[in-house]
Amino acid sequence: MSTTLLETKLFLPQPRHGLVPRARLRERLHQGLAAKLMLVSAPAGFGKTTLLVDWMAAVSESPDTGTATAWLSLDTGDNDPATYWTYVIAALRTVAPDVGTAALGLLQEPQPPPFQTVLTSLLNDLGAADLDLVLLLDDYHVIDSLEVQAGMAFLLDHLPPRLHLVIASRADPPLPLPRMRARGDLVEVRAADLRFTPDEAAAYLNDAMGLQLTPEDVTALEGRTEGWIAALQLAALSMAGRDDVATFIAGFAGDDRYVVDYLVEEVLQRQPEHVRTFLLQTSVLDRMNGPLCDAVTGQDGSRAMLEALDRDNLFLVPLDDRRQWYRYHHLFADVLQARLLDEQPERVGQLHRLASDWYERNGDRAAAIRHAMAAGDFAGAAVLIELAIPALRRDRREATLRGWLEELPDDVLWARPVLCNNLAGARMSTGTFEGVEALLDEAERWLATHVGATDDAVADQEEFLRLPAEIAVHRAGLALVSGDLEATVTFARQALEVALPDDHLARGAASALRGLAAWTRGDLELAHASYAGCLVDFERIGHVSDVLGCSITLADIQVAQGRLGTAMRTYEQALDLASQQGTPGLRGTVDMYVGLAALHREFDDLPAARRYLMRSRELGEHTDLPQNAYRWRMVMARVCEAEGDVEAANDLLVEAERLYEGDFSPNVRPVPAVRARAWIRQGRVQDALNWAGQQGLHATDDLSYLHEFEHVTLARALMARHALESDQPSLDQALELLGRLLRAAEDGNRQGSVLEIRVAQALAHQMRGDLPRALASLEGALSVAEPEGYVRTFVDEGAPMAALLAEAAGGGMASPYVRRLRAALGATPDRTPAASTPAVLVDPLSVREREVLRLLGTELSGPEIARELVVSLNTVRTHTKNVYMKLGVNNRRAALRRARELDLL
Amino acid sequence: MNKPQATPGTDGGTGWCQIRIRGHLDQRWTSWFDGLTVTHDGDGTTLLQGPVADQAALHGLLTKVRDMGLPLVSVTHQSPERSE
Repeated sequence: MSTTLLETKLFLPQPRHGLVPRARLRERLHQGLAAKLMLVSAPAGFGKTTLLVDWMAAVSESPDTGTATAWLSLDTGDNDPATYWTYVIAALRTVAPDVGTAALGLLQEPQPPPFQTVLTSLLNDLGAADLDLVLLLDDYHVIDSLEVQAGMAFLLDHLPPRLHLVIASRADPPLPLPRMRARGDLVEVRAADLRFTPDEAAAYLNDAMGLQLTPEDVTALEGRTEGWIAALQLAALSMAGRDDVATFIAGFAGDDRYVVDYLVEEVLQRQPEHVRTFLLQTSVLDRMNGPLCDAVTGQDGSRAMLEALDRDNLFLVPLDDRRQWYRYHHLFADVLQARLLDEQPERVGQLHRLASDWYERNGDRAAAIRHAMAAGDFAGAAVLIELAIPALRRDRREATLRGWLEELPDDVLWARPVLCNNLAGARMSTGTFEGVEALLDEAERWLATHVGATDDAVADQEEFLRLPAEIAVHRAGLALVSGDLEATVTFARQALEVALPDDHLARGAASALRGLAAWTRGDLELAHASYAGCLVDFERIGHVSDVLGCSITLADIQVAQGRLGTAMRTYEQALDLASQQGTPGLRGTVDMYVGLAALHREFDDLPAARRYLMRSRELGEHTDLPQNAYRWRMVMARVCEAEGDVEAANDLLVEAERLYEGDFSPNVRPVPAVRARAWIRQGRVQDALNWAGQQGLHATDDLSYLHEFEHVTLARALMARHALESDQPSLDQALELLGRLLRAAEDGNRQGSVLEIRVAQALAHQMRGDLPRALASLEGALSVAEPEGYVRTFVDEGAPMAALLAEAAGGGMASPYVRRLRAALGATPDRTPAASTPAVLVDPLSVREREVLRLLGTELSGPEIARELVVSLNTVRTHTKNVYMKLGVNNRRAALRRARELDLL
Repeated sequence: MNKPQATPGTDGGTGWCQIRIRGHLDQRWTSWFDGLTVTHDGDGTTLLQGPVADQAALHGLLTKVRDMGLPLVSVTHQSPERSE
């Protein structure tokens, strides 16, 4: 299968005997170890590989450098980014076995993260590995995938100092070469450097090949070939054993023909007929061993033939150290293929067909597919591709699958419903939605006009049986992308109805899609049931990363439903599951910690909330989902605010707004609305009202779940205006809006929303002086909040809530829970703007500096602080210095005193 | 891997390309270059010319030229819209 690693690609070829020593080039390459990238760029046949093999052998044998060398020969199949990076990591692991474990885990995830994430993980490993490493990528010109190229540019930008990259290519790679040249990051060896000089030509022809040529002969050959090594090799082969060398050279030098044409003709003429036939027939193979050549040529004894060719230097390159797999030198292979195509065009297809059959029999289906395509046998290729689908899906090779399927002619593709459906899926998962609907229509049309699978249209019965559910899932996904929620739910339901009981993939995907659509529409009950269902399916088939992703959503829904305890269990179960996996730092793990932090903040356990947030950060950025960056800051902002650090909270919210990244989930708590609420608490009423104006929010709007958070925020802004300006209409509007919001939340059974609205109502009634109504609303809020242990929802309201709770306690609601809330309120410093007039720093501390300052207030030493923050000691020192400077002090104790005066601690 | 042959001009419009290389290339390369005609010129260069389906096909041909180590002298391509 495509994902079986071909060891031959990682095999560092052995230096051949009879090499011309090329001290000047070796020296240039050695200097290259000081640069990031060495580029060996020259046309075919210039001795790039030979030079590098020779140099790498010298590097790895040399005891003083201690440099490890890894080799990767690329081919066109490596344009699938997943394949490419898997091979790169495999090559690195031949010399550094511990490197890239997490990155490989990420690549094998059902939904791999962006390649930047994979590479970051790999780079971290490489940076930590204690060795100097040279990675050589041979034949890089076959890479045309933009995604791979972007990944390489990223890798080069972040290359650890002890890793060196060598690229051998027939064309300059699309990397920022001019910039690298200017910075001295690039060392190049180009065609002009690689050409044999007259001295090297003489050394090669006379010393290595033993030809005893005169200086004039050598000059003639060097001039005719212009130092092109492949041509000199061919010339040497043509001359070996000839009596009339001088005549040959004269004839060659006086000819205008393309040197390779001339020389291959000479070489082939001197081979016996059966050798010539063998060479031509096997030229269609990009790698070969004895049995494969037997199959293609229809003869026995290919293995002996290959060994003989190897001995005679007939352009055979060994691909392993057991002399089993070989390939022809690329240039020689091209010439042979061109002759074959010219002399026996009808044979070319047959030979590829035979190669395809051999590979299929021997378990390399990817090679079988490529040869079937090259044979023009698209019907045969289509069958093989269909059989390859389960493995390709398991290994996330959608780009490979898509590439193959798009190479098939339309009539072949449309005759196979499984392939139509899978091309639709592969396109969607690689971000293309064009033509997807037509493909699904085609697959469905086939199903409608046939009864059961037919042999000529279906190769994989199991895939065929999954078709109806898969098609419906793909249609649901398509509907979601186009924003048609109703259709999403309809297709998802249809998928669940027709899915086989054990088709957990289709069931999980359909449930998740239905859940997402239901959530967006505000149907929390259906959303909850759907997400709970998809977790079970995804867990059954080991899609742990999907389980984590869906757990975030499920917990969000549970919080909206006011079920904090259940949400906590959701996070904890997901973490349990993640910890049972072999791969550490599974993606989505850190998002669970952010969720737990939010819950603990609500429970008023701020140290625990902070611990979870720090734990999330420690686990590193490459294990999170893209949304984590802003979610983390949103929670941290609330923690900072609860701790009394309003400025830090504001900074974090500004960052969160900048880093906000949406996904398909409904944006039910928009960052700007969260900021507006923070402004209200800080007395910046006009800013909050401006926000509402910009959003076009009005107290008389029709209500929907999607805008519930914003409407509650609007009500709070109106209440704040009333408090500021004693403006009666604002309060009336707020109360009217809250009343409608409450009914909607109760209808949707969103107890979390009910609680929030009732608290606001209680405060609004209190403002109006209507104590009985205020207490009634408060009682409603308390009855929802007590069983789930809410605290900060009350405490964050400050003095007005303290007064109201005091009334409640005096008026027959003196429960232990109320006492607890009152105690928490009493312990919280009053941060309302009127009450505190802090002096301000001219140059405010950054978030990081504030963290350092806080830790300076503990018993921790410098190194311990560094460990706590997961940064280097030097970084801590820099932050400390900045803190001292901004506070105008010069030691820790003075800094703490000043910080307390400024209310920074 | 042998590349599958391009199918020139199936979509109606085809362009015309002329690729000049240094050295005399054998006639037998015609099939390899998707049917381009091979003409030798007195200055020691070879002109490959013929119809190409589109830019992608042209790049495919240039890749073949590159992979053979043929020194490229010039390339011209006339797209169908511009031809008279």
